[in-house]
Amino acid sequence: MVFFFGSASAQEFAFPELDGFKKITNYPVFYPDNLWDFINGAAETYLAYGFINLHVAEYKKGKNVIKIELYHHKNNTLAFGIYSTERSPSFRFMNLGAQGYVVDGSINFFKGNYYVKIRTFSKSEKILRSTESLALRVSNMLGGNSEMPSGLSQFPEGGKKVNEETYINESVLGHKFLNKAYKATYEVGPDKFSIYIFNNDSLQEAWKSAENYLEVTGIEALESASGKYVLSDKYNGSIFLAWKDNILVLISGLSKDQTELANKYSSEILK
Amino acid sequence: MTKSINRRGFIRTGLTGAAGMVAFTPSLIASTYKEKEIIYRTLGKTGMKVPVISFGVMRADNPNLCKAAFENGITFFDTANGYQNGNNEIMLGNLLKDYPRDSFYLATKVRPNGVDKEGKPTSETTSEGFLEKFNESMFRLKLDYVDILYVHALQDPELLESKPVLKAIKKLKKDGRIKFAGFSTHRNEAACINAAADTDNWDVILTAYNFIKDDISELKSAIRKANKKGIGIVAMKTMAGGGFFDKEKTQPINTTAALKWALSNTDISTTIPGMTDFDQLDLNVKILTDISLTEEEKNDLVVPAAITGLYCNGCSKCIPACPMNLPVPDLMRAYMYAHGYSDPAMAQSLLSELGTNDNPCKECDECKVECSKNFSIKEKITDISRLVNVPADFLT
Repeated sequence: MVFFFGSASAQEFAFPELDGFKKITNYPVFYPDNLWDFINGAAETYLAYGFINLHVAEYKKGKNVIKIELYHHKNNTLAFGIYSTERSPSFRFMNLGAQGYVVDGSINFFKGNYYVKIRTFSKSEKILRSTESLALRVSNMLGGNSEMPSGLSQFPEGGKKVNEETYINESVLGHKFLNKAYKATYEVGPDKFSIYIFNNDSLQEAWKSAENYLEVTGIEALESASGKYVLSDKYNGSIFLAWKDNILVLISGLSKDQTELANKYSSEILK
Repeated sequence: MTKSINRRGFIRTGLTGAAGMVAFTPSLIASTYKEKEIIYRTLGKTGMKVPVISFGVMRADNPNLCKAAFENGITFFDTANGYQNGNNEIMLGNLLKDYPRDSFYLATKVRPNGVDKEGKPTSETTSEGFLEKFNESMFRLKLDYVDILYVHALQDPELLESKPVLKAIKKLKKDGRIKFAGFSTHRNEAACINAAADTDNWDVILTAYNFIKDDISELKSAIRKANKKGIGIVAMKTMAGGGFFDKEKTQPINTTAALKWALSNTDISTTIPGMTDFDQLDLNVKILTDISLTEEEKNDLVVPAAITGLYCNGCSKCIPACPMNLPVPDLMRAYMYAHGYSDPAMAQSLLSELGTNDNPCKECDECKVECSKNFSIKEKITDISRLVNVPADFLT
């Protein structure tokens, strides 16, 4: 069966057959206005990540059921974003799509603009292998980017915690004026901190975000192509803010005296 | 304000406003909010004294936001086993482990296994499956007990009678791992609530409740009936979905007004708005001490005329009335996609999925369907079904 990539029409999505299983595709297609009907309050997060539609199918073999959910998002970054909110470094990761993992009968992965979730409650080894087989087949059928987002390569490696990177589409650090950032967490000796990288479209955009943050923390600054500040955010503590051209970097979790460490990482990103 | 430039180039500000990260101590609780001014309501027969604004945590990934909410008097947190694949519960668990257990209330939700598309339990709905998910939640939350466990997303009253689910809940209560049991519902709410009020199994109900709902009278009656039985009521989806009247997000809903409207019903004990930024938190904290709806706020809740005729509320009363068995609510959605979202491609996709022909109403001279929103059903279906004959690439 041919699987077309990128279409919102239900007729163009053909879930593969799975040996020994009866495929059931009588679920409606879910859109932003009725996603709540399928995944309830969890829908809010998906909607915040540019959710377009969801196709669902089930595979039944006796009492065993495998359910597959194909979430279509606006772009690869947002597909990674929603995937990243639901992954944990403790999961068993696999080479599936751009990345995937297995945990407790679930296999989730993302590829291109899609986030795929496959789940069975069966504990049978045979059924679990069928689940993996289905995941591989769907991954191969999906078009689109099978690499991790390039934005992640901007993070320095030293001390970075693996598979904890996320993409935050809205309200980074709880501030409405900070949006669309990759986040990575670090552990360097006794220090634990997070780095946020904003790849803005222009210097003006980067400056606008910086200016907003400076303003709410009581700092006046003149627009410039680059800058470095230590802020006292009453909710998030000390924040190191640096920007150069269109890239803005925030570091949270360090004390205000740890400028050397903050400078080391921000300089590497902004070089 | 003083500034100094350290040798590494970061400009340090001497202004801190409120201090950054403050170590949390129990004594700080009393000093950071004025307990006497916060409006509390009792959650039915549970006796829980809850602030009128609680925290729907499902999207929050910043523990500092939850911490700030707590420090401002929002002491009731709502999460679920399925939110962010467990990361939501993990985040809360890591935060709340440092708080005295009796300083907050926590509710979580578990969806029973094997519930079919219509919301009915099946032979796959087991106590073991339900308890396994609950145990998973408790591991993440790092708690000995939760104050409320909801059965997640009820839409058919039959699930309320599920013996495996009731057995699991009974065991959890007996073991002291849950204080109270409830369910959440955002579909077919009135029927589910009425059915629950006819039993003695439920302590709390979390229901969708907002100023846009067309079946609000029916829902209010059901809530009143449940409340009289001592069932505590918590309101969710108070913004009617997303905080905007329109998909393009050009017509924002006054969220303060929406919350106050919900709380104007004294059968509602608290609401659980989702919050993802400190501005939202600040707005909601103000409501903790003042729930009076001003005239201006009431006016802000008048649905724009352009929107009124577009949203089918999914009451499904039309379905049995149509002699052609048309999927009327879905066809109304298609109409809304085209005329409300200005997305005819999405409308066409839905029509294709429904197998609609280009004139499904042609067999009927007169429409037999009476719509609870007084939609002209035949007119809308005739209008939208024309899309079936439009080539798809004309619409993209």
